[in-house]
Amino acid sequence: MTVALASLSLIWANLSRSRLRFALTAFAIFIAFFLFGILQSFERGLNAGADLAAADRLIISNRINFTQPLPIAYVNRIAAIEGVRQVSHQSWMGSYYQEPRNFIFGFAIDPQSYLQIYADDIALPPEQAAAFIQNRRGALVGEDVAKQYGWQIGDLIPISSNIWQRADGSNVWDLVIEGIYRAGRANIAANTLYLHYDYLNEARTTARDFTGTISFTTLDPAQNDAIAQAIDSRFQNSAYATETRTEEAFNRSFVEQLGNIGLIVLSVSGAAMFTILIITGNTMALSIRERTGEIGVMKVLGFDARMVFALILAESLALALIGGLLGVAAAQMMARFISTVPGFPFPLGFTSGIWLSSFGLMLALGLITGLLPAFAAYRLKPTAAFARA
Amino acid sequence: MTAKPLINLHAVSKSYEKAGHVITIFDQLDLSIARGDFVAIMGPSGSGKTTLLNLLGGVDRPDRGAITIDETRIDQLGESALSRWRGAHIGFIFQFYNLMPMLNAARNVELPLLLTHLKGRARRDHVMTALKIVGLEDRAKHSPREMSGGQQQRVAIARAIVSDPAFLLCDEPTGDLDRETADEILSMLQMLNRDFGKTIIMVTHDPEAARYARRILHLDKGRFIEAEAMVAS
Amino acid sequence: MMLKQIFMMIWIGLLSLPQRLWLSLATVITIAVVVAVLLAFLSMSQGFRQTLGSSGSEDVAIILRGGSGAELNSVLSREQLALIETAPGLLKRDGASLVSGELYVVVDGIKKSSGTKANLPLRGLGPLGVAIRAPAITAGRMFIPGRNELIVGEALLREFNGFEPGSMLRFGATQWTVVGVFSTGGVFDSEIWSDLGGVQNQFNRGSSVQSVRAKLINPQAIESLRSFADQDPRLTVDIISERRYYAEQSERTSDLILVLGWPLSIAMSLGALAGALNTIYLSVSARSRDIATVRAIGFSGFSAFCGTLAESLFLSAVGGLLGALVALVFFDGLSASTLGGNFTQVVFNFSLSSDLFIQGLWLALLIGLIGGFFPAIRAARLPVAQAFGSR
Repeated sequence: MTVALASLSLIWANLSRSRLRFALTAFAIFIAFFLFGILQSFERGLNAGADLAAADRLIISNRINFTQPLPIAYVNRIAAIEGVRQVSHQSWMGSYYQEPRNFIFGFAIDPQSYLQIYADDIALPPEQAAAFIQNRRGALVGEDVAKQYGWQIGDLIPISSNIWQRADGSNVWDLVIEGIYRAGRANIAANTLYLHYDYLNEARTTARDFTGTISFTTLDPAQNDAIAQAIDSRFQNSAYATETRTEEAFNRSFVEQLGNIGLIVLSVSGAAMFTILIITGNTMALSIRERTGEIGVMKVLGFDARMVFALILAESLALALIGGLLGVAAAQMMARFISTVPGFPFPLGFTSGIWLSSFGLMLALGLITGLLPAFAAYRLKPTAAFARA
Repeated sequence: MTAKPLINLHAVSKSYEKAGHVITIFDQLDLSIARGDFVAIMGPSGSGKTTLLNLLGGVDRPDRGAITIDETRIDQLGESALSRWRGAHIGFIFQFYNLMPMLNAARNVELPLLLTHLKGRARRDHVMTALKIVGLEDRAKHSPREMSGGQQQRVAIARAIVSDPAFLLCDEPTGDLDRETADEILSMLQMLNRDFGKTIIMVTHDPEAARYARRILHLDKGRFIEAEAMVAS
Repeated sequence: MMLKQIFMMIWIGLLSLPQRLWLSLATVITIAVVVAVLLAFLSMSQGFRQTLGSSGSEDVAIILRGGSGAELNSVLSREQLALIETAPGLLKRDGASLVSGELYVVVDGIKKSSGTKANLPLRGLGPLGVAIRAPAITAGRMFIPGRNELIVGEALLREFNGFEPGSMLRFGATQWTVVGVFSTGGVFDSEIWSDLGGVQNQFNRGSSVQSVRAKLINPQAIESLRSFADQDPRLTVDIISERRYYAEQSERTSDLILVLGWPLSIAMSLGALAGALNTIYLSVSARSRDIATVRAIGFSGFSAFCGTLAESLFLSAVGGLLGALVALVFFDGLSASTLGGNFTQVVFNFSLSSDLFIQGLWLALLIGLIGGFFPAIRAARLPVAQAFGSR
């Protein structure tokens, strides 16, 4: 125990002998792990829609592309298919508040069935749910959007759509806020606006009696694949052929449209890691070279070569851990902060997986940068103590 | 003493603070060195040799007192004026030669001339003259790495005299050399003093080296304890 | 005199670099990596902007339903199209205005690089629409109306699977055949084209269109078109020149790339800066006796400052050039695609222009300047007495 404590103080003494160099190197490591943490949480956030998708929900879209519509009559026909438990549907609104840049994720839905299927994502007091279902011109908004625009229950809000126009040529839809929901699960955003499909459908001039996508749950998740195939083959030869996917696959296809985010994240974090590998490696090599005489003295005094080896490795590990842990912690704080910025489209997830992979990288960094200098010190002859510097 | 002395220290005091303690090196020190003199300063470690060297070389300042060299109060010069003064008035010779390893002998010797208005051609002439004086004119293009210690010190001497300063300040000039080479270097300093009229101040541990001077000053605990004139044969 | 000593100090500093070869190389490489990352983002943003920004022409007007913002969201009726044809300021050919009603629907394609599905635009257009853009057919032939034939843009063919001439595609219940490849430059090269009637029919759009392109007699004629539309209550439309339409779309995405790229690069620069400071501080301490010696000889503190700063700037400039070179080799011209303003993929090439090159070098030099400044102050203030005594 005393040996361990003495070693710790020795490691610290060695690290802080050149305070400025130690601080600068630790700072470079800090930056690299900060970037790594932020980029990882960004990627997790983007993929959260897919990663956190409910396993028992499936999505039906038009086979040509999910922006092509499906007839509303499909909803009832799908409900009749064996093994299907609940069905609902949603239509993209292309909505914004006052200015096109105040873009809001907005969907026209069938309130009753939708709130049942998405009960785990949408946390809403029952009386608000009832009020929303009852009012044809009611709106249900996420607390993030409500906070951003200062909306309260009972407010009348004019919502514009860049897609749907009313017969009088106006694209403004007046809605009354009947409910403000919270995210039902962690790392899901509460940033969507919902309105009644019936209200939209009766007043719009085009695409009447069509919807965007249809969601459903099944009685037995083991039968999901079979049911999906049954649905798709059922509509195969109609003008509106379908493609049925799990919610996860459907959500993932959105993110994939943006391009290869994973590759970009990997390249940038890789570049950052590569640079600190060089910086730290050089710092360690240098600090050992400067201490050749001292290490010789330690050996003359009877320090075991393996002890010297371990001390130097511990030093590089400590350097990597000090910079790295602070960097990941800062990234987590930053991710939390970004998630609270109004209008940011998705929460940045910061999972324990990020901590774990960062920790692995810190160990790797410490080992790689420490091994060669430690080995050099291991092989150093005690006579180095007497050599002229 | 009929002529004004070249170097005059009057009531010079200097102390340092180290780990909370004030260490006084000099208290009211006086020193006078005439033009054309060759003075060896000896003394044990901690006697104040290095501090005296720094004060005389204009790389450190006294706390109190006056240092007048060639009619200039160098303790009153500002930082950059002091730099220029050093360049114009002193030739430094160091124990470890302090040549720039990446420059050849001629370029090393040329360094002080970069502080003058001399054009390239004139600088080259001066450099060759200085190298000829130290007997290294055929080594002008060699780098310090390719030279022995004695040769390196001769290049350093050439560098010290190339801008024709009033006096040479030598810090253990033979401390890193064997006896035979040391004698060569010391004879060369003696020659510069005798034939070129250079005033030389040399700090040394080595009594053998000191015997080449006209005068030896013994420094102990910040005081000169005796002064005797000696001329080596 | 001052210049001579400064040049000599710079020269001495640079000549001493090989003594610290590995450390100097490490600094060069870290700065190179930072510059390469920055230039990757900048050239991506610029490439996207160039592809979309250079698309369309000044003398073609796009007419969309009011407030729709993009072709994808717009709907216009046959009657509205007929009204627009009678507007003033339009170029005529054989007595008819050069006006093209077009459909813009989204279909799926498979991206070659990732194997994932992506949104591709299928544009239905008539002979006038083709005439307005005058594409070059680079392989195969033009589609023949009524036969469910397609031609595809060159860039789309390059980035997505299954669009080679002769390929059969299935959209909904119908089979389509790719019969040719076209090129117009810009955004249209990421599109699939077919005849308007066929697309209206197969996608159940009746006789409606989504957007109207109108060729103007000159770019200024767009104003008379606008006032014509303003006076007719049946035309609640937005009219914008095609060039501006695509330029505005390009800005959103390319700005987003910059908003991501700059902070990342600046953060990485801070890391590289720490490395550079380490290196240059070390250089000052390794050369402290040399510096003190020339200071004793009479060189000014300022020349020592300059010498150290120059060393740092030199390393960063080499790093910057190296990084820019890497970016030039690996990123310039790289073909990629991402989601554009119409919710469809736009194929673009990374583009590294000389002014981006210079921005990368500036970043490198800024790292060098700050990384050298503080060590240079230390060099200038180094005690001259260090020249004496021990090695």
